[in-house]
Amino acid sequence: MTENGSYRVVVAEDSFLIREGLRAALEQQGDEIEVLEYCSDLPTLLRAVEQHRPDVVITDIRMPPTNTNEGIQAATTLRASDPDIGVVVISQYVTPHYALALFEEGSGGRAYLLKEHIGHRIQLVGVIREVAEGGSVVDPKVVDVLVEARMRAKNSQLAKLTPREREVLAGVAAGKSNSAVAASLFMTRRAVEKNINAIFSKLGLRDETEVSRRVRAALLYLAEQNFESDLPED
Amino acid sequence: MNRVFRNRPYDEEREIHGAAFGAAPGRSDLVVGLAAVAAVAVVAVVAEGGAASDPAAFTAVLAANVATFVVAGLLWRNSRPSSLIGPLLLVEGLLVAVSALAGSRGPVPHLVGVIAGWAATLGVAWLVVAFPRARPRGAAWGVLSLASAAFVCGELPLLLTSSRIPLGVPVGECAGACPTNPVWLVHSPGAERMLVHVEAMLEALSAASLVAYMVLHFMQSSRPRRRTLALLYGAMVPLAITFAVTSIVSGVAGAHVGSAGQAALVATQIIAPLGFVGALLYARSYAAEALGYLSTRLVGEPSLATVEHLVRSVLDDPLARLVFWLPVARKFVDRHGRQVKPDASAEDVSWWSLPQDGNPTLAIVHDSVLAEDPELLEAVGVATTLALENRRLHHDLVDTVQALHASQKRLVSAASEERRRLERDLHDGAQQKLVALRIRIDLARNRDPEAAPAFSSALGAIGVDLDDALHDLRSLAHGIFPPLLADEGLDAALREAARRSAAPVSVSIDVPGRLSPECETAVYYCCLEALQNVAKHAGEDAAATLRLCKDQRAVRFSVVDDGSGFVQDRDKGNVGLTNMADRIGAVGGSLTVRSSPGEGTRVEGRIPLASAGFVQDSRVAHPVR
Repeated sequence: MTENGSYRVVVAEDSFLIREGLRAALEQQGDEIEVLEYCSDLPTLLRAVEQHRPDVVITDIRMPPTNTNEGIQAATTLRASDPDIGVVVISQYVTPHYALALFEEGSGGRAYLLKEHIGHRIQLVGVIREVAEGGSVVDPKVVDVLVEARMRAKNSQLAKLTPREREVLAGVAAGKSNSAVAASLFMTRRAVEKNINAIFSKLGLRDETEVSRRVRAALLYLAEQNFESDLPED
Repeated sequence: MNRVFRNRPYDEEREIHGAAFGAAPGRSDLVVGLAAVAAVAVVAVVAEGGAASDPAAFTAVLAANVATFVVAGLLWRNSRPSSLIGPLLLVEGLLVAVSALAGSRGPVPHLVGVIAGWAATLGVAWLVVAFPRARPRGAAWGVLSLASAAFVCGELPLLLTSSRIPLGVPVGECAGACPTNPVWLVHSPGAERMLVHVEAMLEALSAASLVAYMVLHFMQSSRPRRRTLALLYGAMVPLAITFAVTSIVSGVAGAHVGSAGQAALVATQIIAPLGFVGALLYARSYAAEALGYLSTRLVGEPSLATVEHLVRSVLDDPLARLVFWLPVARKFVDRHGRQVKPDASAEDVSWWSLPQDGNPTLAIVHDSVLAEDPELLEAVGVATTLALENRRLHHDLVDTVQALHASQKRLVSAASEERRRLERDLHDGAQQKLVALRIRIDLARNRDPEAAPAFSSALGAIGVDLDDALHDLRSLAHGIFPPLLADEGLDAALREAARRSAAPVSVSIDVPGRLSPECETAVYYCCLEALQNVAKHAGEDAAATLRLCKDQRAVRFSVVDDGSGFVQDRDKGNVGLTNMADRIGAVGGSLTVRSSPGEGTRVEGRIPLASAGFVQDSRVAHPVR
């Protein structure tokens, strides 16, 4: 972050249309965002990051050279080399797989945002701020898709949770650690862990890795929240 | 010239029957038969009122002789219409019938009958030495010359100097009341006695030379020809020997032949024409045997060398060759592809060819002797043609099936590629433009939300509509082809499908790499269909397990649920299940679906590694462009 409190950002997007939209959106943020460089492929992005040491990288998920998952590769690379840099992966895919892949090495400082939400002023700056502070954001629409099928089924899996478990899950979804959840709910850490295990079990997440389980549980929770309160902000 | 190159239309019914079963008796056969009966009746009438010492025996012998010649002649004419042997045998029968006039009391009919008898005897000799072609060659002419000389120098002078006409058939000897000789010109008992001796010696010599000819000719003949000659010579040699012996006994020694000698002569005379019948039947049965032999050995897919070897052994002709007609090049080639021309000048080689639709298909170049065995050639040619035709049909079938499969695979591959391209076009084109538009609408609203609330809320409404349009477009693109499948492969795509499934699905995937795009697509859609079936049909509480793994031989996948199951009806089939099986089948795999009420449903598929296009390393992606 600069002296005057604005976030220093490097942008990578190969599509002219989207890049110009992003440029306009970021300019609208005024002083809060300072764009250091616009890139259009993975190697250029990594060079720019090395050169500028930004607070946040906003990157297209799919760019040259291979046009597959360069954005996620960038996030993985930076997780090792510069753990403090936040990464916002922008994508046209609502497929949860990509969000999960992004969070595979840890969800801190990572966000998965759909491109059509770039123009949403509060959402964009909120996401940048969140990842810069080490938080994690998933586009609500992605969670929508994930939960859609479950909601179509007769019983939502979340309905199986006790009110206490739902409160714990809300804390997990907010990116809180077990200790932080325990503190906010006036529970012991041990009780929180028990609750979390029960949640995983009820959601059928026994077999997956810890990170993936946490993220998926969070996604499920977010999805349900989303259904209850409709889209936030508007 | 002995080349046999028949080119007959093959669709005539008569030809087919003629080739397979021998011709049915026709009207002309009836005429010949009636003529034979009439001739025998004449013999009977003549004998009854004639001069024969034993009219009953005379009638019986001549009738039997006529009958055997007529039967043999008819058989030959029907079996081998192109051969002269049949008509000659019929003429022979006629001559024998006419020779019955020798039993008449009238001098002139008596003379005519005697001459007909001589002609009949000469005719038999001709038939024997000329057989089976009806055209004598080489030494045969010598035998015939000798026999003719016997008549010219023996019988004819005797006729002019004898008061009694010498008769060929001993049983027809007149008893006392012989008619006078109308051409008795020279009255010289001395000359007559001498001529009787000369005539008998010449006759015996002719008969002996005929025997010698048959023995020598048989010994010099190749095996196929011996087969043809054996039965005829077997019947003719006894006749010739008996004839020679009786001639010497009665003519040279002046002794009486006696009833035993007469009986032997009569018996051999009656049996002799049956030699022709025997030769024909033997040829036919040998051909049938050859056909059976070839039929059992030409099954499967014999090589051309094997076929030729079999043909050689059946024809007994170690130099026989198969030649094949190439319709486009319009030439014959042997099995090595060398051109073979029908050579009209070759003396010892003949051709036999089987025409089909007016064109030759196959020819056998063979020892010209075999041309005398048309039944055998026909049998061998037809069996060989059938075998080669089967071989060709088999190859055609295999080619067609392979071509069909390759084309199916190309279609599937092209369809899969086309869907990926379409998805990518939607993603990079329309979808991206809508996304950019959505951004610009938000940006416009952001600029000054307070200035014109109505304008701002109108923009908001447009934005919501745009979101709907984007949602629809995404569903469409995803339905056309899931980008995840192209980008990351089956593992990611199937896990995603399981996540989105309405029924709980546990996933176990262990395939360390990528398959060919068309195989991945086939497996993906097959599993997707199975998961959708679980959600739709298996019941509320059903859960499914999706497995995908690879072993040494195949990539295997399964979707198993614990739901309500269904009754499998093989006859009805199920469109969805059939589509699944078709998809997997098109990439060279197989699919089985097993279900029964209350037992859940088990969908299992496998694609052999050879067809799966497996590539190690999960990082390998399939770039679209």
